[in-house]
Formats: sequence, structure tokens, C-alpha cells
Amino acid sequence: MVLASLLGDYSDNWAHLYDYVLVDYISNTLYLIIGVSLLSLLIGTVTAWIVTTYDFFGKRFLEWALILPLATPPYILAYTFTGFFDAFGTANNFIRDIFSLDQSFIFFPNIRNIYGAVIVFSFTLYPYIYLVSRSAFLNQSRSMLEAGRMLGLSQFEIFYKLSLPIIRPAVIGGLMLVIMETISDFGAVDHFAIQTFTTGVFRTWHGMYDLKTAMQLASILLIFVATFVWIEKISRKKALYTSGTSTFKPTKKIKLLKYKAFISFFICFIPILIGFILPITELIIWAISYNLSFFNEKFLLAAMNTILLSITAAVLCASIALIINFSIRFKKYRFSNFLSSFLSLGYAVPGLILAVGIVQLFALIDQNILFNSDIILTGSIVGLIFAYIIKSYALANSTFESGFQRISTNLDDSARTLKSSGWNLLSRVHLPLLKTSFLTSILMVTSEVVKELPATLILRPFNFDTLAVATYIYAAEERMFQAAAPAIAIMLVGLIPIILLTKMISSSRPMDK
Amino acid sequence: MTILEIKNLHHTYDNENYALEDINLSINDGEIVSILGPSGCGKTTLLRVIAGLERQSKGTIKINEQIISNEKFMIPPEKRSIGLVVQDKALFPHLNVINNVIFGIQKNKEKYNLAKNYLDIFKVEELADKYPHEISGGEQQRVALARAMAPHPNILLLDEPFSALDQSLKSELHHETKKIFKEKGLTVVIVSHDKDEAKFLSDRLIYIEDGKISPQK
Repeated sequence: MVLASLLGDYSDNWAHLYDYVLVDYISNTLYLIIGVSLLSLLIGTVTAWIVTTYDFFGKRFLEWALILPLATPPYILAYTFTGFFDAFGTANNFIRDIFSLDQSFIFFPNIRNIYGAVIVFSFTLYPYIYLVSRSAFLNQSRSMLEAGRMLGLSQFEIFYKLSLPIIRPAVIGGLMLVIMETISDFGAVDHFAIQTFTTGVFRTWHGMYDLKTAMQLASILLIFVATFVWIEKISRKKALYTSGTSTFKPTKKIKLLKYKAFISFFICFIPILIGFILPITELIIWAISYNLSFFNEKFLLAAMNTILLSITAAVLCASIALIINFSIRFKKYRFSNFLSSFLSLGYAVPGLILAVGIVQLFALIDQNILFNSDIILTGSIVGLIFAYIIKSYALANSTFESGFQRISTNLDDSARTLKSSGWNLLSRVHLPLLKTSFLTSILMVTSEVVKELPATLILRPFNFDTLAVATYIYAAEERMFQAAAPAIAIMLVGLIPIILLTKMISSSRPMDK
Repeated sequence: MTILEIKNLHHTYDNENYALEDINLSINDGEIVSILGPSGCGKTTLLRVIAGLERQSKGTIKINEQIISNEKFMIPPEKRSIGLVVQDKALFPHLNVINNVIFGIQKNKEKYNLAKNYLDIFKVEELADKYPHEISGGEQQRVALARAMAPHPNILLLDEPFSALDQSLKSELHHETKKIFKEKGLTVVIVSHDKDEAKFLSDRLIYIEDGKISPQK
């Protein structure tokens, strides 16, 4: 739908875009990609290497706490950053108070710029790289690293000459996720007033009321995204060759003491501090200074809408993923396989583009099929749920894929000779064995839906607020104190998949047991 | 009377090499037949084709003179009235022993009594409330046999049923199962690579080599 717009006419607005903003859109998006890639690679790989190579006080805590910033959507870190580092924000006030400085003195520079955005994205998205690097480092064989030592490499040389090149394909996969999230973001760049493709699409549509040009801009962004999805897929294939060898021996951790232990702890703690502790503390301070009166009807309504929407979308999404995966296993339909791969691409489509496409599609259905009406699907909750399902199908799908892999096909064979097939087989054998997968995918999708901003902003019915929308609107009006409560709620829900990931991480440490 | 009849059966996975080639076989009612052969010779594939878990490329399979599959037509496994026991037992881990046995006889009004009866025959009635992971490998195999027999299948297929058990358990089960099969008059097809086991359990041996039935050795 969106890509088809490239074949249509090009409006006069293109001349304006071309003359004034298109270069900014492209250059800012590229700067962001380069900056975020470098910084998040640095944070992700170094912290992963430290926690997998060394043993020191607090390592166990850091190992899972390093994923915590995943609970912070970039737009929330952007809001708290501005509140913290603005001219009269918490940090500058604090410095002025301590050193009794003049009100005009500003210690921390303005962060509402591209550098600030690079920091915001890197410190919220680096866990994608940390997670893949950590598991890749864990899978490295001790004998290979020992061979490196015997050939005269120092510990640091082993990191960048041996370990890093070997885990490269896995890390590139993680990096592509970071880049896709960065270019899909709308909330943070909008708050920092940085002109990128996503803000451009939004502005062209809602400012110039030119949906066609907005879709054409979105198409360019989609081509960007498709390139990164493609690179991610290739790197995932390559990663298979590098994970584990037949002569695998787990690496032995090097014990660190005193100042070395302290430095390691400090390096790993900084990303957690900036990506999680700082924003949540700032939000709590705001919420408290608002005298807890945020707990009003509006907040409750937004919370209830969010819960209702996210759980409906999550249950539907999990059920669809279950049925598709079952039909792939049971009937081996090629179509189900294709459908699953196709829907899985949805996670990479920026929420904003998804919204643009759905608005177009639903308007078409409304006008041509549903009695020439404008309102049945367009601007209803159906559109929102549809968008959420497409956006989070990949999450639910991967949970069920691994769940089904764990069920021996011998069980299916036995069940079939015992007169059980189709729905009977699904409900009596598979579903009871996939209860955990079902619950996990519901929780993962719920947390994804609660965070989703641009699609919700565009597709929500009139006056229908969710926590993400409420946070965005308050922050846009610089009413940070009021934005705090919904933002905290979003972060708390965001912790759910992290708790699940932590469990998976602790079970992925066979050598420690 | 012939209960299972296989004619000109061919099966291929890749359209080039035959996993099974020109298999012709008939098995009488109440007969116990063992299929012997080295690993990868196609004996398990033959069992899966008979069960309906794989579809043959060519040939006809009849049960009680009724065609159950040929090139154009195939009755799915759940409608063939064939029991199956595999090496890893494949007990449903979320169901206890009695419910595992009841699984295939859900619609039978006497399901509890029937299931208990089979557990009794295989001497595992006291394990009825236990879950598969709570019982030993030998006990699991007895439950798997009870479960496969409970729906009174026309034919019982056993794929290396005792190979994961130790020698003393094996011979104990050999004696018991043979006795039960004969008492019930069951038609049984056993896939095995253990010649002694096959000789003891069955009335007839069939050798398969490279996907073809070969003369008796």
C-alpha cells in the first residue's frame, strides 16, 4: 500500500521538501544511524565481554541489570533527559546549588540536538547488542582463547583480535535491530525537534495534509528498513557457523579484585545508570512533586484503555501465532510458512508507516466494501489492534517456534494413531505443553504494545488516550510532572519481558551450575 | 485371513533415491511379524507408511481387504485403527499414566475400567496417578504399550520398542508382551535390529536391505 505510492503522482510539496528539508531528513537520519551504531556497539560489546570474561563483585547483578534499559522507550529517556539537563533542569540546578552559582550559569550543555539523540538511543537500545554479544562470548571455546594466549596475545588483544571478529555476524544482527529501532522512532526525535524521516512523514501528513507525499517519504524510509532487515537475515545465517564448535569447552572466568573489580563494575554500571536508574528516578521525583495527584480519572482511563488494548492485541496475536505455527507443523502448508515469514517482517516496519498503510487500507475497505462509510474501520480500535498484531507478530512467533521445537514429533505421531488430529491434537496435546509459550508471548506482546507510540497516536479513535499517548501529549506541552505517572507505568510494564529474559539468561548458564 | 496387504510399494523422499522399493507383503490376522535390517535400510519408513504418517510414492496398502492408501487416496492415521509404540515411548508429559491410556478411548463409556484393565495386564496399575517423568523407562514402555492397545487397533506397530531398555528388563518384557499379544490375538509388526529379540517375539521374520525385501538370511 505504502510502496505503491511511489508509482503515483508526485505533488508540488515535493519541490518544497526537496528544496528545504529532504537533505536534513537524509543527513540527520544518517548521522543518527552512524552515531548510535558506534556508541551502542561500544557499550554492548564491552559490557558483554566484561561480564562473560571476568568474575568480580556484583557481576551476577550486572549481568541481568544490563538489560534493564530495554524497559525504557527512547522517547521516555528523551523526556527525562530534557527535564534533567535543561538550563533549569534537575542537574543544572543541583550544580548551581552546590557551588552557589549564578542562575545564568549552565554547566550541562543543551542536549536537545543530534548528539543528545545519539546518547538517548544508544543507552536505551544497546541491550540488543549486549544480549547477542553475551551469548556469543559465552559460546566461545576456552581452548581457542587459550591458544590465543599461548601465541602471545594480551587479554585486551584477545578481545579485539579474536573474540570480537568471531562474534561479528551475531553482533551485526543485534546492530541491525538497533538501527531499525532508531530510524523507526518518532517520539524522541520529535521531542528534540530533529528533522528525520519519521518526523517528516508526520509533518507532511498532519501539517501539510498531504497523505500521498507522506506515503512517498515513508516509502523511502521503508526501503532503508528493508535493507537493514536483509543485512540482519544474512548475518543471522552466518552467525550459525560461529556459534559453538565440537570441541567446545566453557571459558573459565578471571577473578578480579580491588580497583580492577571496581573499574569493571563502574563501566558496566554507567549504561544502567543512564538508561534506567536516571530516568526512573527522575520520573519518580516528578510524580512525587506533583503530590501524587496524577492518580486522577484521566490517568486511570488511559491505563484502562492501555490494558484493554494491549491484552486484546496480545491474546489475538498469540492465538494467531499459535494457529499458524500449528498448521506449519501439522499440515506443512507452504502458505502458512510464507504467511508467518511475511507477518514476521512487521516488527521492522516503523509504527508510523504501518499506521499510514492501515489508514489507507481501511479507508479503501470502508468506502468500497462497508457501505460507503468513512468511519466503520478507519479511526476505530480495530485499526489499532490490527497494527499491534502486525508489529508484534514476530515476538509471539519466535516464542511458539521454539516452543514447538521442544515438543517431540513422536508425540504427534502417537496422538494421531490414537485418533487425535487437527483441533483435537492442538487442544489436548500441544496447547497444554505450550502454556508457558502462550503466556510468555502474551506478556512480550503486551509490553511491546504499551510502549508503541506513533501507530497509537495516529490510529487511535478520537479522544482515546493510552499511557504512551498521554505521556507524549504531556511532554509535548512540557508538562513533565504530569507525564511522569504514565511514563512510570510504561516502564514497569516494560520490565515484564526483562524478567522473562533474565530467567532465560540464568538457564543459559549450564557451566555455572 | 490376510489383515494387511502391501502391493508394489515405493517410497522416495527426494524423487531420486528410493527409501522403499517394490515392497510386497501380506500379514495374517493374529500374526506377529518382525522386520529386521541395518539402520537406514527403510524399516522405520515402512512402519510410518503403514501407519499413515508418511504417504508412499507408489503402491497400495489394504487393511481387511479395504484400500487405506494408494497413489490417489489416503486414509489419515487417526482413522486407520493402527496402534503405534516408538522407542522413546512418546508418553504425553502433561497427562498422568491413566489419562495417557484413556487418551485414545475418550469416547468409550467404560474408558476408566478399560484403561485400568490394560494397566493391570502390563502390571503398572499402581502407577495410574503418576506422571511419565516419575516412572522408570521400563514402566514407561509398559504404559506406552497399554496406551497403544487400549483402542483395540487392527494392527499394532512397534518401532524398536525395547532398544532403550537394559538386558534384564528387556527379557522380562519380551516374555510378558509376547504372552499378552498371543492371548489377545493381536496382529503385530515389530521393527527391530536385534535378531534374537525378533526371533523370540515373532512368528515370521522379514529382512529389508537398501529399501528392498531381501531373502531370509
